[in-house]
Amino acid sequence: MVFFFQILMDGIATGAIYALVAVGYSVTFTTMRVLNFGLGMWVMLGGMLTYTMHVSLGLNIVVTLIAVVSVLSLMGIVAERLTVRPFVGAGSEGWVMATLAVGLLFVNVAELVWGRNSLRVPAFVGQDVLRFGAFGIYPQNLLIIASSIGAFLALEYFYYHTLWGKAFRAVAHSPDTSRLMGINAGGVATASYALACVLAGVAGILVVPITLADPQMGTVLGLKAFVIPIVAGLASPRGILICGIAYGAVEGLISGYLFSGIRDILAFGLMIAVLYWRPDGLFGQPSAERA
Amino acid sequence: MSMSRSTVRLLLVAGAIGFLAVPLVFTSSFFKFLFILVFIYLIVSIGMNLLIGYAGQFSLGHAGLMAIGAYVSAIVSMSLAKVPALVFVGGNVWIGMLAGIVSAGAAGAVLAFPALRVKGPYLAMVTVAFGWVIWKVLLTWTSVTGGDLGITAIPRPRVAGHIFTVTDYYYLSGAAALVALVLQRNIVLSDFGRKIRAMKYNEMALEAVGVSVHREKVAVFVISAMFAGWGGALFAHLQNFINPDNFQFFNSVFFLLTILFGGPGTLSGPFFGATFLTLVPELLHGAEQYRLLIFSVVILVTLFYLPHGIAGLLPMRIAERTPVKEFTAARTASTTRPAVGAPLAGSPAATVPVVKVVGVSKSFGGIHALEGVDLQLETGTVHALIGPNGAGKTTLVNIISGLYRGDRGTVSLLGKEIVLTSLHHAARQGIARTFQTIKLFGDMTVREHVMVGCELQSGTGLLGAMLRTKSHYDEERRRRAIADELLELVGLSDLVDVSAATLAYGHRRLLEMARALASRPRLLLLDEPAAGLVASEIAMLAGVIDRLRLTGLAVLLVEHHMDLVVAVSDRITVLEQGQVISHGEVETVRNDPRVIEAYLGTGEDHEFVAAHG
Repeated sequence: MVFFFQILMDGIATGAIYALVAVGYSVTFTTMRVLNFGLGMWVMLGGMLTYTMHVSLGLNIVVTLIAVVSVLSLMGIVAERLTVRPFVGAGSEGWVMATLAVGLLFVNVAELVWGRNSLRVPAFVGQDVLRFGAFGIYPQNLLIIASSIGAFLALEYFYYHTLWGKAFRAVAHSPDTSRLMGINAGGVATASYALACVLAGVAGILVVPITLADPQMGTVLGLKAFVIPIVAGLASPRGILICGIAYGAVEGLISGYLFSGIRDILAFGLMIAVLYWRPDGLFGQPSAERA
Repeated sequence: MSMSRSTVRLLLVAGAIGFLAVPLVFTSSFFKFLFILVFIYLIVSIGMNLLIGYAGQFSLGHAGLMAIGAYVSAIVSMSLAKVPALVFVGGNVWIGMLAGIVSAGAAGAVLAFPALRVKGPYLAMVTVAFGWVIWKVLLTWTSVTGGDLGITAIPRPRVAGHIFTVTDYYYLSGAAALVALVLQRNIVLSDFGRKIRAMKYNEMALEAVGVSVHREKVAVFVISAMFAGWGGALFAHLQNFINPDNFQFFNSVFFLLTILFGGPGTLSGPFFGATFLTLVPELLHGAEQYRLLIFSVVILVTLFYLPHGIAGLLPMRIAERTPVKEFTAARTASTTRPAVGAPLAGSPAATVPVVKVVGVSKSFGGIHALEGVDLQLETGTVHALIGPNGAGKTTLVNIISGLYRGDRGTVSLLGKEIVLTSLHHAARQGIARTFQTIKLFGDMTVREHVMVGCELQSGTGLLGAMLRTKSHYDEERRRRAIADELLELVGLSDLVDVSAATLAYGHRRLLEMARALASRPRLLLLDEPAAGLVASEIAMLAGVIDRLRLTGLAVLLVEHHMDLVVAVSDRITVLEQGQVISHGEVETVRNDPRVIEAYLGTGEDHEFVAAHG
């Protein structure tokens, strides 16, 4: 029971991180039908920058967070302008390869800057296990879960209670009509892309103390996180959070009780099954084709 | 910028001499190896080109399919090595390679069937996941794959006791690449090739001529996977070992890049892409640590500055950006079927309506688009469906053409009740349609548009097309003859070889009609064919509709243009708010007070009557 609880908590924490990255895919997809195919590499960038600022330079974690968020949002704005907008404007799907190319570029640059070895980042909130009777929880896990849920609540507040958030939803519904209503749809597109990059970066900050930081860390994470919006439906943030956490928990239990090699194969099988059964995801609304 | 035939021939001869001479000039095995890699990657790239360049689908998992080809070939040929007789003639390796190709195709089918229900970006991600899982399986299923050490002591091919040297292998893989190039050309120029190219431009329009898009997608994916497996099999027996490192995500990106860079949807693109991207990085010694950097820069530069790849920079004939013309003699073949009319099976009694709709209803959310609509469409009759905007006309057309399913009511075809499951199902049953917004296949030629819809009963199929059998040529000639006949019927004979993208608006409408006729329908649904046409074009359209009536076709005409309706219709049905408010002969409907009220309100000034009475 204690072991079960332990791996369940680890799994939920991992799932919360997947959910953060997953909602990054969803943010850009709902607003402008675009996905950042290199999003996992932005997670990696967030992790590596955390290493440099928090460990190498010894900056406070809050300062690190603010710095990483600022840097990544600026980079996200530039990336959208250079590698997404020109293609979307021309009606081309070139952005698929372009966003992937940016990701590969990051990997190579990270290898040159930080080397290929894994770097260790200590837990931000102490290594001591919090004890509740027989059960113990790592504070880092609690921090991850709390931060992730906090980020989702903030996102929902943003969507439903701020003017910019309403603009996001309007553009998601119809970019052309929102333009006619005076909404800066281009600005929304850029902002949503930068927001996705920032969410991925925050996931990177949270994940490095439990994994390690290395240039390849984002590849698999970015891929697994993509399974979640496919299963949950790309347009449903709450569905993504629920599915992300459930997915992490199941994955943790499988590798805890069965055999860790099989869990990724299971994830893929799950995705194929859901796509076959419900192409719009479990929480998605089927879209009718028009003649 | 076109090149003369003799220049092309000269280049081909030079290429052949170069190919044969490479092993003599570059005696070091490093270069031979490098060229063998070019050939292997070329084969995989050709598979990618069919899938991405021509069919407009996506894959970032081809390294996984290549791995399946390589591992199966290695494992099968090693297990068969216990049979001495087989080994002596090299049978174990050849059987292994074949098994590798077939397995990759099978894996492609298993992946494609569910994955191709999603499009574009989703598909890309699913294939990424596939490639990655294969890689993971190779790493973890140690008892079969050898884990990260891979498989060693893979046999080289041999013929009658002679084991292939590196030079032999160079010629073997070079010949294989040549065969792959020829197959690529044959596939692209076949009926299947036309369908996959059409699919890239407009899936719905392709469905409407009776083609199951999903089936064609799976087929092209499987073919593409077999090319990947072929490359993998050749790769396995080149060195005597393979391991998972050779089949990583990056390799899938590489194959995609060869297509983007070489020129997607061109016959020569894979050659340029695979050659350049294999040779250049290898020749830049010491650049290993900048490999990803170089490739990502190449991707971005290609996307921004070379949208048609290297092939796009070359003169047409060399690059073969548009397929060469297959036939010079026009209309030599005799058609075994009349182009229009003559229903597929049995001739229905004249009294049985072609399509009968009884009590059909359809709601979208709370809106009742159709409520208990009856409609009867008869042979050799033009039936107009009119009504104000939002009356439910297009919804009814969508139900009869299989795009929507009605909530209630029945549709009968030749007296038999039928459930139409999709556009292509309806088209195959003899119900063809055009669209309110014109849907054409990009820059395919006018004739190709019509040929796509020509489904012949005796299909020799893809294999015949790949091997260029006589019956393939016969079929193509028949399709061509049918297409030309239909294009003559709609008056587009002068434009058969023109790209549809350059057609005038009115001609596009007519082309859509000719294409719909190619599936030899019993019923043709025309959804606002006169929209946007000028008066002279409408007159032409009326003439075409009149001619169609004479062939015995049933026509349902949805139209706002009353001149056309009155000129060509035998019967009229009027819809308002989802209900039939009047139907019958033109005169009857025209004088029906409910129709006048629906169109004009209850005022005295009856413009509709005045204009046509």
